[in-house]
Amino acid sequence: MKLIAIFSTAILFMTLNIAMIQKPGGPWNVPAKYKSMKSTIKAGDASINSTGKELYNKHCKSCHGAKGLGDGPKAANLKTSCGDFSAKAFQDQSDGEIYYQSFVGRDDMPNFEKKIIDEADRWAVVYFMRTLKK
Amino acid sequence: MKNINFYSRISALAILAFMLGYFPGFAQEATTEEATEEPVKERPARPAFESGLLFDAATTTLQPSKTLEMIIQHRFGTMDNGITDFYGIWAPSNIRLGMNYSILDNLTVGIGATKYNKMEDIQIKYNVLQQTRSNKIPVTVTLYEVIGIDGSADDKFGVNYKFSNRINYFSQIIISRRFNDMFSLQVAPGFTHYNSVDSTMDHDKISISFAGRIKFSPQSSFIIGADIPLRIQGISEHTAEFNKTSTSWNDIYSNICIGYEVSTSTHAFHLYLASGQGILPQENIMFNKNDFFDGGILIGLNITRLWSF
Repeated sequence: MKLIAIFSTAILFMTLNIAMIQKPGGPWNVPAKYKSMKSTIKAGDASINSTGKELYNKHCKSCHGAKGLGDGPKAANLKTSCGDFSAKAFQDQSDGEIYYQSFVGRDDMPNFEKKIIDEADRWAVVYFMRTLKK
Repeated sequence: MKNINFYSRISALAILAFMLGYFPGFAQEATTEEATEEPVKERPARPAFESGLLFDAATTTLQPSKTLEMIIQHRFGTMDNGITDFYGIWAPSNIRLGMNYSILDNLTVGIGATKYNKMEDIQIKYNVLQQTRSNKIPVTVTLYEVIGIDGSADDKFGVNYKFSNRINYFSQIIISRRFNDMFSLQVAPGFTHYNSVDSTMDHDKISISFAGRIKFSPQSSFIIGADIPLRIQGISEHTAEFNKTSTSWNDIYSNICIGYEVSTSTHAFHLYLASGQGILPQENIMFNKNDFFDGGILIGLNITRLWSF
């Protein structure tokens, strides 16, 4: 009887853990107008390390982590993995694709269009994420 | 009257800081835009404060339309009894629960309920002018109105009870400026009216409020604020001789607040020391008897949470 109880507990524990494993996010379906979108600020703009960094820290860091590794304190509670902004796969995307993923969002990734209203501020965040490249 | 010189100096310094802000040298975001020759599309400056609330005061920050904000404001008791009531934490406290909803990007309405005096309130905040990054508009101007309804028992309002006796009003013009990413300041003259007060008091009070923020990390700020009731004999219902000895005139102190703010994407947290135990601004401006410089200090905290629709 004792053996059955231990076995059942172990099965239950494993089932719960399997249910909590994060799945990687599937491919993004980014609309064409976003893919070809051009930034309203230039690379190297002073706002990237001031506004971009500040807004990233305020809105993104809690899930994506300070260095964009997807290891923020809230990341473990999400259904899908946050991804790694320092990885080549992320950095190889166009600016517009990163813009769409960051501000339009999907599922666990919320829409930030109303939280960061100014277009140039959004691009400062996108370019700040570029600085997280390994 | 004993702190009047101190308050005058603080007021003068704050006004001077505002005036300095009009010089282009302080307009950090304007310089890069002025360098281009093409006509620049005006961009609104980023909000001067992280939240629409700073201590008990409203700020010029409004949330975008269709945003719901939940507010929890808590004030412990004053610390003057020391360890006996654990520096006010075990003393009688005051709390307010509120909800704000942004109807438009520049119009927010709110309701709330406060423990002291069983006060219910309705609030309206309307942004009339928005600071721009080019510095063409150097300040943000917001109108703020709070209507409070005292839910105390009828006999508190004397023998000729009328429902209107329960009503009180607070009107304010809030002028703020975001000087740079670190430093913001606001000045807000206000007018308070209570339909029913004790016979030794005035129904009306003019005040001036200040609030400032120094951001020392991307999410953390040092915050400071003061609501200063002004003793203006010209609007008093009592003679100067009466007011000279009246505690209702002389022993109403400024609500001074110093604290720490942490803001995230959807939350703002304030932990601070304050002297006013009221939460609605009119309560502190009309009735605050705690002197910040004479042991009348208490711990306060605020939590706000946003939902976008």
